[in-house]
Amino acid sequence: MNTQTTHNSCRLWVGTSGYSYTEWTDAGFYPPGTKSGAMLPLYARHFPITELNFTWYQMPKVHVLDRMHRQAPAGFRFAAKLTRTLTHEIDPDQWRGQATQYRDGIAPLLQARKLVAVLLQFPPSFVRAPQSRQYLAALLDELDGLPLAVEFRHASWATDRVFAELERRRATLVTVDEPELPGLFPGLDVVTNPELFYIRFHGRNAKGWRSGNMQKQFDYDYGDDELRQWADGRIAKMAPHASTGVIFFNNHVRAQAPRNAVRLIQLLIARGLMAD
Amino acid sequence: MKPIWKTEDRSIIHLNVADFAVAVERAVDSRLKDRPVIIAPEGAARAAVYDMSEEAYRNGICKGMALGRAVRLCRDARILPPHPDRYEHAMRSLLKQTLPYSPLIETGEADGHLFMDVSGSSRLFGPPADVAWRLRRQVKKDLGLDPIWSVAPNKLVAKVATRLVKPDGEYIVGAGEEESLLAPLPIRLVPGIERDDLLRLQEFNLTRVSQFTALSLEQLQIPFGARALFLYQTARGIDPSPVLPMGQKPPKVIADHEFGNDTNDRSFLESILYRLVEQVGDRLRRHRRAARRVAVILDYSDGMRCARQLAARPATANDLTLFQLARRTLLLAWTRRVRIRHVRLICDRLIFPPAQLKLFADEQRQTQKRDNLVVAIDSIRQRFGTQAVRIGRTLAA
Repeated sequence: MNTQTTHNSCRLWVGTSGYSYTEWTDAGFYPPGTKSGAMLPLYARHFPITELNFTWYQMPKVHVLDRMHRQAPAGFRFAAKLTRTLTHEIDPDQWRGQATQYRDGIAPLLQARKLVAVLLQFPPSFVRAPQSRQYLAALLDELDGLPLAVEFRHASWATDRVFAELERRRATLVTVDEPELPGLFPGLDVVTNPELFYIRFHGRNAKGWRSGNMQKQFDYDYGDDELRQWADGRIAKMAPHASTGVIFFNNHVRAQAPRNAVRLIQLLIARGLMAD
Repeated sequence: MKPIWKTEDRSIIHLNVADFAVAVERAVDSRLKDRPVIIAPEGAARAAVYDMSEEAYRNGICKGMALGRAVRLCRDARILPPHPDRYEHAMRSLLKQTLPYSPLIETGEADGHLFMDVSGSSRLFGPPADVAWRLRRQVKKDLGLDPIWSVAPNKLVAKVATRLVKPDGEYIVGAGEEESLLAPLPIRLVPGIERDDLLRLQEFNLTRVSQFTALSLEQLQIPFGARALFLYQTARGIDPSPVLPMGQKPPKVIADHEFGNDTNDRSFLESILYRLVEQVGDRLRRHRRAARRVAVILDYSDGMRCARQLAARPATANDLTLFQLARRTLLLAWTRRVRIRHVRLICDRLIFPPAQLKLFADEQRQTQKRDNLVVAIDSIRQRFGTQAVRIGRTLAA
C-alpha cells in the first residue's frame, strides 16, 4: 500500500508509536513466531513511518540506530522521542550534556535523511511557569537544527503566546487526541511550522488514563466515525498549512494502533488527502 | 557442521544496584552521599575492603585490597563495617517490589542483582522497557536505591549490558543484537568464562570477544574439548538458561558458627565443624534425606571469603561420614594464615538415603556400625536432650 501522497503539496505519513510489541503477534498483526528483531521489515510492509519510543527510555546509541535504519526500506522514515532525562527527569546540572549525547546518538538517522521529527513529549507535571518556560527555551536552543515537535500534556501551555513562539522557532506543536479530562492539553488544529504538522492518537480511555499502567492508559479502539471526523475535520484543515504531516497511533494495546492507522489511511485516501 | 539452537524470543530484565553495600548504607545515612565510602570490617588486624563506592573506586580502591592501603589511597573515605543483615533486608525489599510483575524472578545472594523474565507479561504490564523503568522509579522512591537496568533476550546479555553502563544508566538490547554487543568487549567481561578459560585464551593471545568468535566450533574443540560448545555459545551471546522461578531453588541444609574471637586453632575449628555436622546431620535424618555434596564457606577476619565443596559418594546423612568429608573440605578452603571469623557448612543435592548395600562384607560392617552408633545417639538425645550424650571432640570446644 502506498501511503505517502500529496495534496495541496502536503505529504501525509501515517504509522504507529513503536512497532516492537510481542502482543501484536498474538493479535495477528505479525505472523506467529515473529521475533522482535524481525519486526521492523514486516512493519514497513504496512506503514512508511514509525515513532521510536525506546529512545525515551534510553539515550539513542549510534550502532543501534544505524542497524535499525538499514533494516528498513529506503523510503522509510522515523520520528524519535527525546530521552526522558530531557523531558521527565531533568537534572539541572546534566541536561546540556544529555542533549549533546542525544544529538550524537540520533545522527545516523539524520545523516541518512530519514529523521522526520524529534518528539519532545512533556509530562502533565510540566506546567507553564517561568522556570519551565526558561527550560523549554534553553532546550529548544540546545537542540536547534533538529526537526522539533513539542507535545504538552498540561492545558496551561494552550495559549497564543506559546504558539507564536513555536512558530518563530519553526518548531511543531503536536496535536493530540486523548480523553477529555480536566487539565489535559486540548485537541487543537494549530499549525506552527509550515514544514511539519504532527498528530498523535493516544486513545480516549478516560478511566485508564491515570492508572499508571500503559496497558490500561492506551487501551482504546477508535470507531469509524471518530476517525472520519479527524480525516474530514482537523487533518483536512491542517494539511494546506504544512508541506508534511505525520500521524501516529499510540493505542498499542491488542494491536489496535495498526488497525486504526490502516483505517485512517483508507479514509484519507477516500477523502483525497492521500493517493492510493 | 553448524550447531542449531532452539531459542524462543524472551525478554529478561536485569536490575543491578551498583556497589550494593554502599548503596544500602547511603539509603540509611544520606550524609554518605557523594563522598568516598569503604566497607571493611572493623578491628581486624589485616582487614580487606569488602565493597566501596564509585568515588573510592576512582581513587584506585578495589575489592579485597588491604584496608591500610586503601586508606592511604583515599584519605577522606568514610569507613563502615559490613552489615550483612541490612543488605539481606534491602534485597528482600527489592524482591518484594518486583514480585507483582513476574513469577520468574531470580536473585543472587544479597548483592543487588536480580533477573526477571517478563516475556509473557507484556499484555498485562506493557513493554519490558516500560516495566523496567517503572520498577527503577519505584525502587528509587520506596527504597532509596537506584538500580541500573537492562532488557535483553537472555540473562547473559542482560548482565553484560548492566556492566557496560555501570555506575548508572540503562541498556536495551534487542533480539539479534547479542553478538554485536559482545564483539568489541574484552573476553574477561563475559560472565561464565572462567579464570582457567582466560588463561588458556591468553596462551593463544586472544583477548577480545571478536577475536574469539572468529574461531569455529571445531577449532575450539581442540584446546577446550567438551567446554568448547559452551564457550562458543557464550561468546556469541547465546544463553538458553532459564530465569529460575521463585521458591524453586534446590533445597539445602545450612549450619553456621561465628567465632567470638577469631581463631586459627585447628583442633578448635574442627570441634566446631563437628558440631555443625551434628546439626546438619540431625536435620537430614529427621527429613529422611541424604546429602550428595558438602560445602564449607570460611570468612576470614579480614573480610575475605573462601568456599570449597566436595561430592559425597555415596550420599550420606551419617555424622561420622559427613565429618570426614567436611574436614577434607575445610582443609581445601583453609589456605591462609589469617584467622577465621565465621564458618558455614552446607549440605545439598539431597536425595532419599540410598538403599544399595556395600559390596564387601567388611565395608558393610563398618557402615553398619557407624549407622548404629548414630541411631543410638539420636535415640538417647531424643529422650534425654541433646546434652545427654556428646562426642569427645566437641567437649573441648
